[in-house]
Amino acid sequence: MSLANPMALVLLGLAAPVIGFYILKIRLRRTPVSTLLFWRKIFDEKKPRSLWQRLRHLLSLLLQLVFLALLVAAVSDPIFRWQQKQSRRVVVIVDDSAGMAATDLAPSRLEAARARALRLIEGMRHGDETAIVAASRPRVVCGATDHERTLKQALASIVQTDAPARMTAAVELARRLLSGSPKTPRIVVLTDAALDQAAELAASSDVELVALGARTGNVGITQLQARRSVVDPVGYEIMVEVENAADEPAQLRLELELGADPIDVVPLTLAPGARSVQMFEKTSAEGGRIHARLDKADALMADNDAWAVLPRRARQKVSLATPGNLFLEKVFEALPAVDLEVVKVAPETKPAKPAPAAAGAVHVYHRQTPETLPAGNVFVIDPQVSGPYWTVGEAIKQAVVAKQDRDSAYMANIRLDNVALPESRKLSFPAGARLLAETAAGDAILAAIERPGVGKVVVLGVDLDKSDLPLQTAFPILAANVLSEFGGAKGELRPALAAGSTAELDLAADLKAGESFVLHAPDGIETPIVLAPGATKATLGPLDLHGVWSVLRRSEQAAASARPAGAEFAPGDHLVVELACNIADRRETDLRAPEGITARPLESALALAVRPVWYYLLATAWLLTCWEWLLYQRRWID
Amino acid sequence: MALFDSDFLQKLEYLSLVSRRVFRGQLLAQRRTKQLGGGIEFADHREYTPGDDFRYLDWNVFARHGDLLLKRFQEEEDLHVYILVDASRSMALGDPPKFDYARQVAAALAYIALAELDRVAITTIAGDVRADFPLTRGKGRILALLDFLEKQKPDGTHTDLERSARVFTRRGQRRGLVIVISDLFDPAGYARGLDILRHHGHELHLVQIHDRRDADPAFKGDVELYDVETDTIERVTVTERSLKQYRKVFAEFLESVKTYCHTYGVGGARSSTEVPFDELLLRMMRAAGALA
Repeated sequence: MSLANPMALVLLGLAAPVIGFYILKIRLRRTPVSTLLFWRKIFDEKKPRSLWQRLRHLLSLLLQLVFLALLVAAVSDPIFRWQQKQSRRVVVIVDDSAGMAATDLAPSRLEAARARALRLIEGMRHGDETAIVAASRPRVVCGATDHERTLKQALASIVQTDAPARMTAAVELARRLLSGSPKTPRIVVLTDAALDQAAELAASSDVELVALGARTGNVGITQLQARRSVVDPVGYEIMVEVENAADEPAQLRLELELGADPIDVVPLTLAPGARSVQMFEKTSAEGGRIHARLDKADALMADNDAWAVLPRRARQKVSLATPGNLFLEKVFEALPAVDLEVVKVAPETKPAKPAPAAAGAVHVYHRQTPETLPAGNVFVIDPQVSGPYWTVGEAIKQAVVAKQDRDSAYMANIRLDNVALPESRKLSFPAGARLLAETAAGDAILAAIERPGVGKVVVLGVDLDKSDLPLQTAFPILAANVLSEFGGAKGELRPALAAGSTAELDLAADLKAGESFVLHAPDGIETPIVLAPGATKATLGPLDLHGVWSVLRRSEQAAASARPAGAEFAPGDHLVVELACNIADRRETDLRAPEGITARPLESALALAVRPVWYYLLATAWLLTCWEWLLYQRRWID
Repeated sequence: MALFDSDFLQKLEYLSLVSRRVFRGQLLAQRRTKQLGGGIEFADHREYTPGDDFRYLDWNVFARHGDLLLKRFQEEEDLHVYILVDASRSMALGDPPKFDYARQVAAALAYIALAELDRVAITTIAGDVRADFPLTRGKGRILALLDFLEKQKPDGTHTDLERSARVFTRRGQRRGLVIVISDLFDPAGYARGLDILRHHGHELHLVQIHDRRDADPAFKGDVELYDVETDTIERVTVTERSLKQYRKVFAEFLESVKTYCHTYGVGGARSSTEVPFDELLLRMMRAAGALA
């Protein structure tokens, strides 16, 4: 046996004052009594036992000296040889995944895991080393050390995430930490055992799986996505998946909101283990955050909410130049998200140059065309003269569409073969133009031309005044298809990410001198996004909190100004993009440990024998103090 | 606060009324002495002996049977009540002090006796007889009696009932009712002193007083017990166990006093100072009524 702190033996000198004080008689308090008759009767009877009394008095001194000896021994921290031989290196894996936020163990499973880990740290023997690994994003929170305070601080720094547990990777990391160490290796996994690999881990000889939490039922949203409709310019679709990971049926309500506006409320009845996938088709040109919420309070509330980001449908500016056609004007007026401007005569335009910014504007020319087509997208109807991309020929008396390009998005849901097209113009187009509708004679009456970097051109050679096309449903559908294709935002999807994943973002379009990018987390914490010199793409994440993450562009001036109270962003912040992030993991929603897992209770690992010797010495001293106090109070000793 | 204030006097008056109405003099006053003499109440007959007063010959018996029998009448006389109050230093202890309590009881008994036209004397005792209030009669003397009691102090030495009784009986006073009010903490034992009083033909009545702390001490640990009567000191360690033993010994002491009274037909009352004195007196009266 050796002593970690042999200098503490000096404290044994305190025995001298203890003995000194014992020898010194203290003045007894005087108590007047009416008579000593009765007291003498009692104490005279005891006189034959005076030898025992003397011995008994010595017991008090003895107890005090033993108490001092134990304290000194504890401070000197004795280490036995067997302890030195049996030192261990322990890696504690703390599961900080979403499921550990379950409150079936108050306050949460993660806190219970933290408490267990704390006991392990406090139970370290001399020569033991402990490392801490977090499991959701396998990382070493604290390397192997025997410094208790460092370990406790590292343990306290582990925060709850909404990411799934990556236990296999965490265990592999722990094994790497243990490799090469001469000490006895040990891996302790503190988890709720709601893992796919739980059975495998429980069977591992080098892993002690400590299961936390009961077999608790939970209902959660395991998927939420939203996208723009491919057919409806202002339509969108929401897909929600709800799972009842419980042994009991569940009745609940699913509530959907777009921004602050309620979209739908759906009652759900789910059998044990059942999963419900709901599709919602809605219309709105507005975009924003879609929030799905379950109204059922359960052990894991984090998966009762999910978010998706719906791209806003941008309004299209349409400039219609027409000598006058009521049908044509009404068709464009009726189309949603269209800002229509009608002029009688098309203004002259400058030669078109590559200008992507102008791509948003749509010019519709009816029976007239400027000499030079403007930049952007152009829809030409019934041209009277040849233009840069088409040549007008003679009129066809009775044209009938015999062939149409059904694969083209321009022609979706349109049939022109039953439309009367008298006095249609023969049109010829340069090579590269896509012919969308042709007569039996092979004369094109509808074609689309790509102008790389400038815009698109669609030409329709139909006289609207003579044809019955404006009276057919094909006409507004054609107009909508043309605008939709010009807008280029069909079926736009900004997928909601699973918590714990990363996202790559191209910030080229938003880069401005003197401005920086910031990633704003759902809990309000902001992280600067650093781009490598010359790079435009940034990798964000891991996004390990569920909610909506925002990428902000911030000027130096905005960075210096304070954020107003209650405001989500600072004034001057420009929102670049929002990313929805959800738990979206069935394994995390399911709080029930797989059947047949026989997790080892930590208590056996934390048997009293694992504590250092000084702990027992102190405990004995404490017990001795209690005993001495009891004896003194009961006056068995004095 | 004065020991005998107006409240106290009111209580005395009440007690006097109660004693008259309920007990009809069975405790003190209106008691017949055992002496026969010139009263008016017939007691029995005895044979005539020469020299007897002819006035007491029973003519009716002589006429019927021819026997000369003398009528004997119970002599009515005043009852002499001697109240012995323990003024030893142990009586100064207690809350209220036992001596104050004893004086209140003595005053009350004296008042009842005076109200019934008995003669009352009060004597304070400790190691010896300390002070006397001589025999007196009439309710009008109560204030003087109270004044006497008020001036008494519990500053005698230790209790010596035997010596006090001897001194008291040597005075050759007329026999009567002797009421001893004391805690009876006599190192030599209380019995001898009481025996002397009994043997001198006094009718003895005992009022034993103790304080709550006498019966159940409230201290524990290392203490220096100081006997206020003998000025002796005992260093002891009082434990829960020894307290338990003390309570047992004290209960045995009370029981021994009770047994003594029962054995010798001595009227007795035991009380803690926590019991109001008027309640004690009522209890004594009820006990006397029950015995009668």
